[in-house]
Order: sequence, then structure tokens, then C-alpha cells
Amino acid sequence: MMTPALAKWHKYRAVGIITVKQQLHYRVDFIVRALFLLLILFIFIHLWRAAYTSSGSETIEGFALNQIIWYLVFAEAVTMACPQLCVRIEEEVKQGEVAVRLIRPIAYNGFHYMTYLAEAGLRFIVQLAAGSAIAWAYMGSPLFGWGWAGLAALLPGAFTVAFLLNLAVALLAFWVEETRGMEFVLQKLNFTVGGMLLPLELMPDWLERVCGWLPFQAVLYFPARMGVAFDGGRLAAFLLTQWGWAAALAVLCAFIYRRGVRKLNVNGG
Amino acid sequence: MSTAVSLTGGRGSRIRRAAGIARYVLTCWKLNLAAAMEYRASFFMLAVMMFVNNCIWLVFWAIFFNRFPAVNGWELRDVMLLWGISAGGFGWSSVLFGNYPRIAPIVANGELDVFLTQPKPLLLNVLVSRMSLTAMGDFLFGVAIYALAGEHTLIGAAKYALGLLISGLLFLFVTLAAGSLAFFFGHAEGMAFQLFNGLVALSTYPTDIFKGTARIVLFTVLPAGFISYAPIGLLRRFDGTFVWLAAAAVAAFGLLAVSLFAVGVRRYTSGNRMAMRG
Repeated sequence: MMTPALAKWHKYRAVGIITVKQQLHYRVDFIVRALFLLLILFIFIHLWRAAYTSSGSETIEGFALNQIIWYLVFAEAVTMACPQLCVRIEEEVKQGEVAVRLIRPIAYNGFHYMTYLAEAGLRFIVQLAAGSAIAWAYMGSPLFGWGWAGLAALLPGAFTVAFLLNLAVALLAFWVEETRGMEFVLQKLNFTVGGMLLPLELMPDWLERVCGWLPFQAVLYFPARMGVAFDGGRLAAFLLTQWGWAAALAVLCAFIYRRGVRKLNVNGG
Repeated sequence: MSTAVSLTGGRGSRIRRAAGIARYVLTCWKLNLAAAMEYRASFFMLAVMMFVNNCIWLVFWAIFFNRFPAVNGWELRDVMLLWGISAGGFGWSSVLFGNYPRIAPIVANGELDVFLTQPKPLLLNVLVSRMSLTAMGDFLFGVAIYALAGEHTLIGAAKYALGLLISGLLFLFVTLAAGSLAFFFGHAEGMAFQLFNGLVALSTYPTDIFKGTARIVLFTVLPAGFISYAPIGLLRRFDGTFVWLAAAAVAAFGLLAVSLFAVGVRRYTSGNRMAMRG
């Protein structure tokens, strides 16, 4: 006999599997994104190569050139893997589809979490493969040893925090018509203080300290940093911080959802 | 005498026709702006978003140059001016001729039919029928960068304006040429989009980080180099060769884009899509 918890797990697992199957049909989208990633990495390889040559040193803040490039591959792959949750929820509210979604026997936030994870996971593999192709050709093989395990350990938390940050903004669609402006700001915060464009160590000290108090580092900096320079002691701290932020953001999202769902007026459906 | 009268008459008619087209273009721009102002909050939000987006990139560059004060001779001020010229040029061309990044989907979806029925120059009519709202933020960003880091003399302003002109025209012509491929290959949206993205991305990084083949590509197939080298070859020191080559590139891509569009339209087959233009 199936326990309620097991039945629930089967339900969410099915959502994840269906999402992966759906995503496999969007091959052109995968190729377009991968081509863009190749272009961006091509530019960054030239930029960082010129910067290291100008500086005249082999390492900067402990990062060798190949580590910086692979850091960018990991960070960009995570960034480009993340689905646009705000657009999705905003459309659901505008078109009334949310009404159908809310009466289904599956938690609204949980449903979106599973689709997000499944989509992001699949896209990450594709983006990582594309990014690795160019980084490998220019920088050589990614011999990071345990770094790969560190990266894998931090990815679920990274996607969870990314999902919750986006969900907190996306759920505001229950009150306001447009959330894309706020999503845009969130995205830019990830680019800068999240460490997508460069590792936090390369920032001025004061900014690095500020970034250390924000949740954005848990999405891109943690996995990418651990991927290129494994440090067992810091891995535990990263995991703790990551899931601590995930718990805090989950509470925030539950609060926003409860308030929002009472406020929601749906047309259509 | 009769020949002279006929010539004068023909010239007069051409002038009247040109004046008529200019009035039509001006009316289109006014209507586009009026339509944007209908949703004022959205218009300002989109413009501000793009302005902020560009500012965030400058934050990255400020951090980068804080760590590496000079990269292949480029300093923070040069990159700021590079962003100003690139974003500003893209901004004015997309505000005034907002349909140029959309040529491929317009052709592929049969949306050209509605323009073909109107007694106006086809290409110009298509281009001016849309105004990009976000691009207003890009243009204003270009102006703000000049105010912040530009050379505040008459010559300095003229050089910056020339940079904006070259940049805007290159964005317009290269993207139009790429979009016109849809006449020949059907669904060329993906390819046109990639070329457009490539041009935008490559025009916002210092040219001198690229060597060899990549550099040749930047000054030929995808002429982003004529935009990204402007802070050095036009603003820092006036390099006549670079400026003439940039003007020649604008002319060549202009000719290519207009020719591709003109030849392509002859191959265009109308769809059965019903469309109206307000």
C-alpha cells in the first residue's frame, strides 16, 4: 500500500518527467541558447587572456586563467539553464490559466518547483556541454578533481535558491500586472553581486563583504567557485548557507503565496 | 526651352515627392511616439530598465578596470565611451527605424502584405512603422555617457555624433541585410537573430582584445569593429584611415542591405494572413 508521502512523491516525480519530455522537443531553442553561450565565452576568453597578459602574473587572487574561464563556463551554464519563471506565472495570471492550476490536486508552488528543477537540470547539461567545448579547446581539460563533485553537490541548492528568488518576485503577479521589471533587476543582481561576471574575490573588499550577506552568491558563485577550486571545509559552509537561504526564502514565498491567493481575481481560465 | 521646362518640372516633382515622403515619415514617428505615450508607465519602465541594464555593465567594467587598470591600452573611460556609442547608436536607429531587427519574422509570417498595398516606399514604410521603447533608454544612456566621459568641445561633440551615426547605421544595415535573408531561405529568424546578437555583443568589448582571424571578422563579415574601435580611432585620436574605412563599411553594408531587400521582395510570395495597420 502506498503511503501519502510516497504518493505525493510519485506525483511530483511525474511532473518532473513530463517536463523533461516536453523540453526535449525544443531542440532549436537549445541550439540558439548554446550558440549564444559560445559567443559570450569566446569574447570572455579573449578578454581575460588580455587582462592576464597585461597584469603579467600567472594567478590573480588564487585564480589561474583556466580557472577563471571554467568558472565562467559553470556560472553561465547555470544562468542560461534557469527558466523564466516570472514570465510563466505572469502569463498564467493574465490568461486566467492560474484558476485551473489552483484547483489541481498538487501544490501550486511545488508544481512550479518541479518543472523548474527538471527544466533547469536538462538545460544545464546542454549548456555545460556547449561551454565545455569552447573552454576545452582554448584552455585545456578541466582537471579539477573533487571540484566536479563540489559543483554537483551545490547545484540542487543553487537551482532551489534561484527558483525561490524568482518565485518571490513572480508571485507578485497576483497583485500587479507586470513583474518583468522586477525580474530584470533580480537578473542583474545575479550578474553582478551574484558573481556571474567575475568571482567575488576579484571585487573590491567592501563589495565582496556586501555580497557575502546576500543570497545571490548561493546561485552562481558557490557552485562555480567550488567547481574550479575545491575546498572541503568551505563546501560545508557553502551548503549550509545555501540551504539556510533556501529555508528563509521558502518561508517568504509561502507567506506571499498565502496573501496573494486570497487577493487574486481571475478572468478566463 | 521646352527641355529646360521639362527638367525643371521633373526636378520640382521629385522635390515635392521627397517632401511628401519626409512629411509621411515625420507623421509616422509622431504617431509611434503617441502610441508609446498611451502606455506611459510601461514606456518609462522599459526605457529606465534598459538604462539600468547598461549602467550595470559599466559597474562590471569599473570593477574590472579597478583590478586591471589598462588592458591592451584600453582604460575605463574608453570602455565607457564604447558603451555610449554602441548603445546610443543602437538607440537612435531603433527608435526611428524600430522594425529593422524584425525584418525576418515580418517576411516569414507574410506581414509584408499590408505594407505592399500602401503607396509609400516599401522599405522605408516598414522600417518607420515601429518604435522600440527600450531603445529610448539606450539612446539616453549614450547621451549620459557623453555628458559624463565625453570631450566637451564642439569638435568633441561632433566626433561623438559621428560615432553615433556610424554605429546606428551599421546596426541598421547589417541587421537589415541579415533579416532580408528570410526572402531567400524562408525561416531565417534564428540566423538573423544570432547575427544581430553577435553584432550587439561584439560591439561592446574593446576591439584590441581580439587578434588574428577574430579581428579580421570584426572588420569584415560582422563589422562590430567599426563601432568598438571608435573610442580609440575616432574619439581619442582622429584616425582618418579608420574613419574613411568606417564610412566605406556603412556605404557597403547599406548597399548590400537595400539590394538584398529589393531583390528579395521580387521573390516574396504573399500569405493569406489578414492584417491591418492603424
